[in-house]
Amino acid sequence: MTTILPILPELLLLALGILILTLDPFLKKDEARRPFLGWFTVASLLAALTVSLLLARPAGAALAFGGMIRFDWLGFLFKMFFLFAAAVTALLFMDADKLNRRAEAYFLLVAAALGMCLMASAADLVMLYLAIETTSIPLYILAGFLKTDDKSTESGFKYMLFGALTSAVLLYGFSLVYGFTGKTNLYELGLHFSNFNIVAIGVTFLILAGLAFKVSLFPFHFWAPDVYEGAPTPVAGFLSTASKAAGFAVLIRLFTAVFPVLNADWSLILAILATLTMTVGNLIALTQKSVKRMLAYSSIAHAGYAMIGVVAFSELGMASVVFYLIAYALTNLLAFGIVGIVGRAAGSDEFSAYNGLSRRSAGLGLAALVAFLSLAGMPPFVGFVSKFFVFAAAVQSGWVWLAIVGVLNSIVGLYYYLNVLKAVYLYRMENEDEDRHPVPVSRPAAIALVILVAGILLIGTLFGPWFGLATRAAAALF
Amino acid sequence: MDLTLILFIILAVTAIATALGLLISRNAVYAALFLVMNFACVAIFYLLLGAPFIAMAQVTVYAGAIMVLFLFVIMLLGAEKLPKGDVLPVQRPLAIGAAVILLAEAVILLVQRFQSTAMLQAPGTVENSMDSLREMSGLLFTEYLLPFEVTSILLLVAMVGAIVLTKQEKGTRG
Repeated sequence: MTTILPILPELLLLALGILILTLDPFLKKDEARRPFLGWFTVASLLAALTVSLLLARPAGAALAFGGMIRFDWLGFLFKMFFLFAAAVTALLFMDADKLNRRAEAYFLLVAAALGMCLMASAADLVMLYLAIETTSIPLYILAGFLKTDDKSTESGFKYMLFGALTSAVLLYGFSLVYGFTGKTNLYELGLHFSNFNIVAIGVTFLILAGLAFKVSLFPFHFWAPDVYEGAPTPVAGFLSTASKAAGFAVLIRLFTAVFPVLNADWSLILAILATLTMTVGNLIALTQKSVKRMLAYSSIAHAGYAMIGVVAFSELGMASVVFYLIAYALTNLLAFGIVGIVGRAAGSDEFSAYNGLSRRSAGLGLAALVAFLSLAGMPPFVGFVSKFFVFAAAVQSGWVWLAIVGVLNSIVGLYYYLNVLKAVYLYRMENEDEDRHPVPVSRPAAIALVILVAGILLIGTLFGPWFGLATRAAAALF
Repeated sequence: MDLTLILFIILAVTAIATALGLLISRNAVYAALFLVMNFACVAIFYLLLGAPFIAMAQVTVYAGAIMVLFLFVIMLLGAEKLPKGDVLPVQRPLAIGAAVILLAEAVILLVQRFQSTAMLQAPGTVENSMDSLREMSGLLFTEYLLPFEVTSILLLVAMVGAIVLTKQEKGTRG
């Protein structure tokens, strides 16, 4: 029993995926029973979350399965978070027209979550690469799931092409690492990269490029807006949050385990990358007319903020990255949830579709207020606390200028987030007849929004215990 | 001159000839068949180097499965005859430049190799036998069990994905 504990969440996810596929034919006949699939997925994901929380907590940090994975708090925290994000996304799937009745969509979601769980705990290059592919391939398919929609097809195809290219680059880096050291375990590799040489530079560059794509860092961010815009909205939400968090989990594990000594030389490059990522993401977001595209650029900017914590490279820095990712994911899932609901009601993602939203549906307006203010980093929402910790970590490690750049960028972000809220609260619909255009919010979507709003407020105000968890996760790295 | 060397020279010439045939052939079916020949030669190289498992994998996976798939695709698309493609103006000089660089690299490496005897030693200690296969399977089911199983999940996902993306839905062109 104890031997399977490290992969308990993955095993539960696998069982769930197979169950979904087996249940599907039995529900085919009766259209009325199709929503059962969604509820089943959500309930099972939450059950898996509870079971793992109760049974599979790691005691310390230990390698398991022949060194393939590391059973520690960092992996565990991320896994629990992926299960939660998948459950919320499944709720939002139930509200999306062409996804809600397809067992394949839920299966692919579960499979992607499984891959992410493995990514978060992988401690071997072989395992890591397989985990990344197990995450990416279902996501490629989900992004292009709406076959009759040209934009979705384009999104899936672009994502796959870019993803395949960067996977190849990443794999090339891995193969060089193996070639030079003869080892694949991350925790054995660290010893081989003890001095700074030309090989280490090349290898680090290749691996960094591969991972930068996954988290959409500056020179590798081009895919994000097109992919997010075309993908079904809940999928875009999942992509921009859980997938990004998984990429960061790998990034921080790799950089603390394999290249700790190189850090001094790389920090400046990473700091410049973080600056460019934030600035480029924010500046382009300013000019967007579609809220979905604006969120895509803002998600690039947020990867930059999270990167600040990585640059700080202290225990506080890593803890702040973990905390930031979870905070950002809660907020962005909420934002994409709202975009999905409005997009469905208005048939458009333009800013004008949000005019008078607070009068059309007060609850949705409030949720939008929480989501966008939290994205902008306003107290008492979680976006504020998470940014605060990231900047604090930067200052603590002596990166004062980087913290200042981050603060300035947050101000730019505030402008375009408030633009959405301006449409929601101050503008009216064309004929000022909001009463006659209610925005229907289905029950699953409402549940998802309430959970997310509650999460944002809860973690934003009582952040102590949550940050304690993040610190515990970060402590596993050093 | 021992037998291995003679065999190697014959194979090397065949491998290069088939690779050239693949590039030059204007008929896609011929090109694919040249590639099969090339794979077969490479498989025998692996045998000569003492890696029977990789040789078998090369034959079954590449020459067998993948090339059959290639031929099927070519046949189904009816794309046997390639049209005379437009050549970009920079393409030729670029290709020549790249070829020269690669050739120079190869020559430099070869010269270095003959100068130092250290690099002539064969890598690894496994003898040319089926032992390596046994050792590999042992590893696959002990240390690498988890990645091995994850691969099967990945294949399942790929299968579901292929069905999702290609299945024709009611009322659409698919």
